[in-house]
Amino acid sequence: MKNFILKVKTSDKNIVTLFFIAVFIFAIMGILSPKSFLSVTNLQGMCIQFPEFGILSFGMMLAMISGGIDLSLVGIANLSGIVGTVVMLKMDGGIESIPFGILAALLTGLLCGIFNGALIGYLKIPPMLVTLCGLQLFTGLGLAITKGPALTGLPQEFGYIANGTVLGIPIAVLLFAIIAVIISYLLKSTVYGQHLSFKGTNEVASRYSGINNLKVTIITYGISGILGAVSGILMASHYNSAKSDYGTSFTLLSLLIVVLGGTNPDGGKGKVLGVTLSIIVLQLVSSAFNILRVNSFVKTFVWGLILIFIMIFTSFMDSKNMERKAKKQ
Amino acid sequence: MADAFLRLENIKKSFGGVHALKGVDLTINSGEIHCLAGENGCGKSTLIKVISGAHDATEGSIYIDGKKINHLDPIDSIRMGIQVIYQDFAVFPNLSVAENIAMNRALMTGAKRMQWKKARQLALEAMEQIGAHIDPDILVERLSVANKQMVAICRAIINDAKLLILDEPTTALTAKEVEKLNIIIRRLKAKGMAIVIVNHKMNEIYEIADRLTILRNGENVATGLIEEFDKVRFIKCLTGRDIDEVTYRPEKSEQEILKVSHLTKEGVFQDVNFTLHRGDVLGITGLLGSGRGEIGDALFGIAPADKGTILLNGVEIEIKSVMDAVKHKIGYVPEDRLTQGLFLDRSIQDNTVSASIQKYLTKGRLNHSEMYRVTEEWIRKIGCAAPSPKPNIRTLSGGNAQKMVIAKWLNTNPDLLILNGPTVGVDVGSKSDIHKILHNLASKGVGIIIISDDLQELIQNCNKILVMKNGKPSGELNAGDLDEITLTKLLSGK
Amino acid sequence: MKKRLKNNLSTNEMIVVYIIFGLSMLIGIVNPVFFGTATLISLSRSMLVTLIFAICEMIVIISGGIDVSFPAISCISLYATIKFLLFTGLDSPILAFAMAGLIGMAFGALNAFLIVRFKIAPLIATLGVSSVVNGATLAFLGTDEISNIPDNIDQLSKAFIYTYTSPDGITYQLTALILIPIAVCIAAYVILKFTMLGRGIYAIGGDKNAARIAGFNVTKIQFIIYMTSGFFAGIGGITYMILMRQASPQVLMGSEMMVIAAVVVGGTRITGGHGTVIGTILGVSLITLVQNNLIMLGVPTHFQTFVVGMIIVIGTSITSIRAKKIANSAKV
Repeated sequence: MKNFILKVKTSDKNIVTLFFIAVFIFAIMGILSPKSFLSVTNLQGMCIQFPEFGILSFGMMLAMISGGIDLSLVGIANLSGIVGTVVMLKMDGGIESIPFGILAALLTGLLCGIFNGALIGYLKIPPMLVTLCGLQLFTGLGLAITKGPALTGLPQEFGYIANGTVLGIPIAVLLFAIIAVIISYLLKSTVYGQHLSFKGTNEVASRYSGINNLKVTIITYGISGILGAVSGILMASHYNSAKSDYGTSFTLLSLLIVVLGGTNPDGGKGKVLGVTLSIIVLQLVSSAFNILRVNSFVKTFVWGLILIFIMIFTSFMDSKNMERKAKKQ
Repeated sequence: MADAFLRLENIKKSFGGVHALKGVDLTINSGEIHCLAGENGCGKSTLIKVISGAHDATEGSIYIDGKKINHLDPIDSIRMGIQVIYQDFAVFPNLSVAENIAMNRALMTGAKRMQWKKARQLALEAMEQIGAHIDPDILVERLSVANKQMVAICRAIINDAKLLILDEPTTALTAKEVEKLNIIIRRLKAKGMAIVIVNHKMNEIYEIADRLTILRNGENVATGLIEEFDKVRFIKCLTGRDIDEVTYRPEKSEQEILKVSHLTKEGVFQDVNFTLHRGDVLGITGLLGSGRGEIGDALFGIAPADKGTILLNGVEIEIKSVMDAVKHKIGYVPEDRLTQGLFLDRSIQDNTVSASIQKYLTKGRLNHSEMYRVTEEWIRKIGCAAPSPKPNIRTLSGGNAQKMVIAKWLNTNPDLLILNGPTVGVDVGSKSDIHKILHNLASKGVGIIIISDDLQELIQNCNKILVMKNGKPSGELNAGDLDEITLTKLLSGK
Repeated sequence: MKKRLKNNLSTNEMIVVYIIFGLSMLIGIVNPVFFGTATLISLSRSMLVTLIFAICEMIVIISGGIDVSFPAISCISLYATIKFLLFTGLDSPILAFAMAGLIGMAFGALNAFLIVRFKIAPLIATLGVSSVVNGATLAFLGTDEISNIPDNIDQLSKAFIYTYTSPDGITYQLTALILIPIAVCIAAYVILKFTMLGRGIYAIGGDKNAARIAGFNVTKIQFIIYMTSGFFAGIGGITYMILMRQASPQVLMGSEMMVIAAVVVGGTRITGGHGTVIGTILGVSLITLVQNNLIMLGVPTHFQTFVVGMIIVIGTSITSIRAKKIANSAKV
């Protein structure tokens, strides 16, 4: 028991807070409207929604740990979805075309990510600028391919990815869980993961430690691109179509999630567990809003408020910590 | 003492429980050049901040122009004619030279409009006064370090400075630039300005100072005319010890660890040759811009050389990047510990394993407990005062942090360890610990190169010394034949 | 002297001028109608509001920050103002501009407060404010488009300062609203170049700490910058509404991308400290030129976003690489 308390005390405060917030929302909603909130439909609905932006958020998290940011993720997602769809449609939209479509989408995401990474790592253009331009570029490319309207006529079976279940668990959630485990493994147990966080902490020192910053940058944005593509595939499967402007609110949402999840906006620090909890919290809030029939625009409003408050809170805690340290000295 | 411009009496300053200044007396006269010497952490910078009004003294009195000052704000200090030129100069890289020089004046007078013609005029006048010739319309980001310093000096003197404080002004200057700076300082002195120079390089102090004050552990241990200090007294006051006569002299060996021939980087250094035998500690010295640090950067792949061959333990290796250097088991303790050497926001453990993470990959996973164990072992082996591998490395003192930077490279089992300024900002105790570690490594067959401008350190700890001048090496010198005076002469080529 | 001339010919501004010139030539060759007063008038009209935003964004970027919240602030200012005017039945252009400007300024102050007081990264702070403001507009003010603009205000859209009749009898009229961005440009030029406030903005962007030591009131200047940006976001919003004769709560959302790109293409360094009014005018001109005239070059509409994106990527790469070159060049 003593050990447990010690563990809670030393573990990330942020994660503990998020966990309690999640429990709190669950409890409140369970009391307020148990029938609709705890219903199977609502729970399943939540499970379809959150992997789309959740997977994007992991991409954003990796970019942020490296000391950058990836604002182009939504563009990558849509472009990948579109390319995948085009490939499937070109192959006459049969079930056998699905793997090729998925592969094409993933490849597109990877290429977009490498493009970002190369501009950032090789030409040393600030990540914010590169990915902001990238967003425009990828969205534009998607628009050029679709010529505007959504591409439809995807194979029926493709829809299972977002809407289907295995043993009662939605496939999308499984996918999300697998990705979370992989990213967590990458960060904690691989050389790349350690190099990534070293580079994010201090790029000069990491160079002086023999870490290949360019490689780390390109891999990071490459993975981010692939995650964008996965999310793009989920969206295309969910809407059964592909378009260049799906999920435009996800950029802000993923940024919010990542910061809320305890990732340091200056780079170097970020945890999968924190981000996952933060995704769950936001999905719970979102569902609660839906059930309480709150206008969806209020959500945008509240997301912004949460982001601002979290930042104020962190800044406040930081200055408190500094004071305490100064006093100790 | 009629013309004492500034007088400090029994100044004490403490931060929390730490006493940075424990009762300092200091008198600065107009028209004198006063050097303030002391090792890192002796309280020099705190003292300057008290004078410039950035810190409030806990106790003691300040007299400026004979008047007692009760409370000093930065702006008061400037109004009374005290100007500090910090090491980073605090100039604006994106603005023109003229604007940089004139801006403070305009701000002080509370001007609302920017008068370009007047600014240019002022800048030209100021540069005329100190004999500098810089295009006033050029952006400061395009200036060399020495010229940036000129801009900072010009900016200080147009504000009717009566006391000019220069914080380690020569660290980033080449020999010629130091000479030029000295001429300017003497010119300002002739105009009746009081000048305080913070420095700890003995040869430079003897070159310029009229009077000298030495600080140690927050107290002034000695003040007097420069003639009153001979070398022995100077060092004793500075370090609190007599000159340590123990020097490193290894047994001769024929086994070649490193052989560098004709190493050249165009415009930086040319035709550098040296051989490191087993047990050797090679020192590389020279003034800034002589190419001393650049040799280290080249051997470690930060800025690779264009030509030349490098043989490490008899095998020719090619170094085109840091990754190459690390692959060939070369370690590098960089010059700027805070930005290049340490991951400040990370734990001691993270810092220790940062260059050797691959080692802990077993069965596709990193073994974090092994990292912990190894770090613990290094803390013990290298004599670092840290409770465990977990605390942030920021919490360590300069000396202990530097030990961990060395441990980081030792953990890669290097064949060659290059140290650029290994004991800058390191306290006396840790300094000798670090030297012992290096000797020990050398005797075990690790090649050690120390790049430093601390001549005493080199003479004591190296058995071979390479003196760089304008990018050309002097050839290997046997440290046994050298003392500081001859080495100083070699450096400046007089 | 020769060297100076050479330097002047290879500044960022001049590069943009060359590109504009080359592009105009290309469009002109494909479609000779391009060369004419009509093109100039339509171009002016298209870049009018963007230019107001771009000048403010430039000032923010020079100071080392960034503001992505101005589209949202712009929208809430124009929408709240028009709702208020319709509700009260007041119909005064001056009131409309003043009210929109003040609303914008209030949100600008919020940005500054978050950035200065809590030291939140400007991108994240303004993104958050953008979300809050946009959400608030749609949730609390409504979502419908309003086209019954009060008469006096609507009249402004029919005020022209220049009328041109082309040989084939079509008349082109230059709106009087163009005076607003012209005034903003002149004011920005004078303030940035000839006042200590302006030089302080550059100084903060160059080295915030040095600016503080030198005696600039950094906090005050940052507040002025973000509040001005907010104020002109409001003004820009109302201008847009009058120009389009319609008020919509979302219409400007997403324009931040184009504005930032125009500023950066115009030679402003995204890392702060450098930027000129002339450069920004040129940057906005280039981007507007591309957007308006790609069709003339035979580029299909759905390709436009992509082509504009390409130009932005190339433009920003060039400025970034040039900045890096200067940083690495030999020192004097």
